[in-house]
Amino acid sequence: MRITPTRIFQIQRISAIALLVFMTTHMVVVHYPPMHIDFSQIIVRMGEPIWKVIDILFLLSVLTHALAGMYMVLTDLQKIGPYRQALGWIAVVLFVVFFAYGTKTIIAFQPPV
Amino acid sequence: MATNGTSKTAVIRIQKFNPDKDKKPYLKEYTVTVTPDTTILDALEEIKATQDGTLTFRRSCRHAICGSCAMNVNGHNTLVCNQRVNAHLDKKGMITVRPLPYLPIVKDMVVDRTSFWDQYQRIKPWLVPPEDVPETEFRMTPEEVKALNDAEKCIMCGACYSACTVTAMNKSYIGPHALLKASLRIQDPRDSITDERLVEISGADGAYRCHTIFNCIDACPKNLNPTQAIETLRKLAQKRAAYVDARKERQKTL
Repeated sequence: MRITPTRIFQIQRISAIALLVFMTTHMVVVHYPPMHIDFSQIIVRMGEPIWKVIDILFLLSVLTHALAGMYMVLTDLQKIGPYRQALGWIAVVLFVVFFAYGTKTIIAFQPPV
Repeated sequence: MATNGTSKTAVIRIQKFNPDKDKKPYLKEYTVTVTPDTTILDALEEIKATQDGTLTFRRSCRHAICGSCAMNVNGHNTLVCNQRVNAHLDKKGMITVRPLPYLPIVKDMVVDRTSFWDQYQRIKPWLVPPEDVPETEFRMTPEEVKALNDAEKCIMCGACYSACTVTAMNKSYIGPHALLKASLRIQDPRDSITDERLVEISGADGAYRCHTIFNCIDACPKNLNPTQAIETLRKLAQKRAAYVDARKERQKTL
């Protein structure tokens, strides 16, 4: 599939909607929980499979949105124009590296017994 | 700012630049007597006639229809022929007039609009009718005319193009002026190259380059809405095939 500006536009909008959901969830659950929680509860929660899936999806939407945005902002510059394709590949490589590293970290996490 | 009846003196601070003599642009102040009806263009004409014959600027119709006299007044792109001096004076009784920003200066207020026209040509701003032109006249519905958002009223002054920060960074961007005209043609049911136009505007330098900063709306002296046109183009580009098919069906009933 060729990544056209139309496709990047769609990717960025869809990831923005996903981010809205995940960011709201993250802020409510982690930073402003309606009930009192402590460190041990958070640690236990981070080890639950459902939260690992949510965190991986959150990571996916953050990386997609950020890299697509950075690509579009950088290619605004005329001097970058000839290197658009190379920049696109750099974004893809960064995405793969960060996603693999982040996913590995999330999956490998185990709460201390 | 001295006042004498209805007339008063105002200071017009003008950016001067002669590439043959000056290394960089500089501001020069001129004092002129203005009445409530004096336009900025009137003041510039007076300065040129009585104080500085070298002052260079474009103007033609004096009725805000030719688009020649677009300049930057107090940081805001506008036509100087329909703007009164009094409306723009600051507390010190001063106006700062500069050429349109982000465009190469030829001399004083005159800028090189080559990139502006190049981008305009790129979107083929003319109507391309279908090959089988009917014997009768083409008729658009009032709804179709309304959807054009008065884009045909654009006078190509360059105020929006020069106010656009994306244009400032990238002259290969099609620009708000051309995208507005592209939307006019793409939404015109009489046009037959909708697909080609949508492909062009959805390219790397097209509608997706816009960051919806709204500078173009702010600058337009005709109160047009290039940002809205660009948003419409984005939507149409998303459903290009369906829109092109619908356009062909529509042309059968013109």
